[in-house]
Amino acid sequence: MEGLILFAVSMLTLGAVYGMLCLALNLESGLGPLWDLGIVSFFGIGAYTYVLLTAPPAADHQSYIFGFGLPMWIGVVASMVAGGVAAWLIGLPTLKLKREYFLIVTLAFAEVIRQVYANEEWLTNGVAGIYGLQQPLRSTVPAMQYSYVLLALALLGLAFAWAVTRSIGASPFGRACKALRENEALAITAGIDPRGVSMRVYMVAGALAGLAGVFGVWYTTLIIPGQFEADLTFFVWAALIIGGIGNQRGALIGAFVFILLHDALRFIQVSGEWAVTLTSLRTALVGLALILILRFRPEGLFGERPVTFAQRTPQEAERA
Amino acid sequence: MLEASAVHLSYGGLRAVDNVSLSVEAGRIVGLIGTNGAGKTSLFNVISGFARADRGTITFEGARIDSEHASAIARRGLVRTFQTPLGFPRMTVLENMLVFSRHDGKARHRLAGGSRVPDDVLQEAMRTLDEFGLAARADIWVQDLAAPELKMLEFARAMMAQPKLMMLDEPAAGVNPALIESLVRHIKDLRERGVTFLIVDHNLKFIAEVCEEVYAMADGRIIAHGPSAEVIANPDVIRLYIGEAADKADGRAEQSFTSTNHEQGVQQ
Repeated sequence: MEGLILFAVSMLTLGAVYGMLCLALNLESGLGPLWDLGIVSFFGIGAYTYVLLTAPPAADHQSYIFGFGLPMWIGVVASMVAGGVAAWLIGLPTLKLKREYFLIVTLAFAEVIRQVYANEEWLTNGVAGIYGLQQPLRSTVPAMQYSYVLLALALLGLAFAWAVTRSIGASPFGRACKALRENEALAITAGIDPRGVSMRVYMVAGALAGLAGVFGVWYTTLIIPGQFEADLTFFVWAALIIGGIGNQRGALIGAFVFILLHDALRFIQVSGEWAVTLTSLRTALVGLALILILRFRPEGLFGERPVTFAQRTPQEAERA
Repeated sequence: MLEASAVHLSYGGLRAVDNVSLSVEAGRIVGLIGTNGAGKTSLFNVISGFARADRGTITFEGARIDSEHASAIARRGLVRTFQTPLGFPRMTVLENMLVFSRHDGKARHRLAGGSRVPDDVLQEAMRTLDEFGLAARADIWVQDLAAPELKMLEFARAMMAQPKLMMLDEPAAGVNPALIESLVRHIKDLRERGVTFLIVDHNLKFIAEVCEEVYAMADGRIIAHGPSAEVIANPDVIRLYIGEAADKADGRAEQSFTSTNHEQGVQQ
């Protein structure tokens, strides 16, 4: 029974990390106008920034720069800054492009970045990665209890991402993002600067995905280039489509539903031969869910809903 | 208020706008007519910043705007519409209004905050929607509006921006006569409130009824300018609309043309 609970806690923690990524993606692609197929770039940049700043200096058999052993909170802040700055740098040339071209460039950039992680050994220790990374508050609780602490931290991160994206979504800036998503030419006639607004929303999404990268590192306690393949971008997109693109709740629920579909099969005790089969089925199961959702509920489990405002007439204002 | 001087715009070898000069004084309703391909919308695009002129200058309230981005021009108070009525489909009617409001215009430079829209802004939006018969539709998505409602929303939305100059691109196209009457009423009403208009349309009855002054374009050039009745009766303009046959009809075509268009309007 305890094993089942620990497995559930582990899945919830991973779900919270995906939830942060889904909220970031929903901000730029659901609320905003950016079809980003490179969300994994910022996840990776945030994770590597955190590791390179907080990890101890490289051992003899390792090769990576920095390794300053800085406090974790500095790494957390730096991961967000790095995600935001990376988005700015990518956005400078790409936000001039139309949606489809932006999508292709972001996909390509994510792959370029992954190749950098893998091949620039002096920077990242290459494909060997960096192992045995420290987790926060590790020494405060017994080892068996630490999963709960990590879950609490991940939920805290998720709550932060929720608060940021929700606040932006309801603001005039959020409405400008939506207007650009819906019709750029008309939005321009409202005085909205497409590049400026897109850049800012892209940077916030990059910063949040960078933060998610830190939680990804805390979850796995290691970092290798293989964690940042394009699969992750597609998984996050799948989660968002399942949950409901353009809806905060949808983004959140989609992440957990995705993890349930994708990782719950791991818990089943089967022979080694069957385990291989089930592993292959995991992605197929997500694909099946995606097909069913798109066929029967294309807006997702929680589709976007019309926004209403509390007080509209003088009478309503008085009542409020 | 608006001055376009010697404006040129070419697409490859095609001169869409050829040495056009045009002036719109504050408080006037000015029309721009011409057949398809005359260059009216191209000129609109140049003035509103959606296309960059090859040569020439455009000033709005004394300031050069010909090198500004369209969004910056809109922020100066020059708001345009498009031939096909547009909205933000998956935003509510009220949200559409707020996007154009001065409140959103001032507050959107902040990333977050301001999620509670001030009561007076909401009330202004609702009052304006009420004027245009859309108050009951405030909470539905714009994609669920009927075409005439979308037309009305265009005006209501533009009012939220409190524009100085509204450039309407074929507002009467594909619109039934009852709605045209309503459009005329709203345009005149808005003019009374200080809004200046530059209107492109093919419907000469509508132009004659609403505009005090008209420019006629052909092949990218201005071929006539003056009071609306005078321009619509201009032989060059008549020839433009009904062809060379008009020349051979001893003036009868002119009479027939003007009366027909004043009664029925010339549709595209």
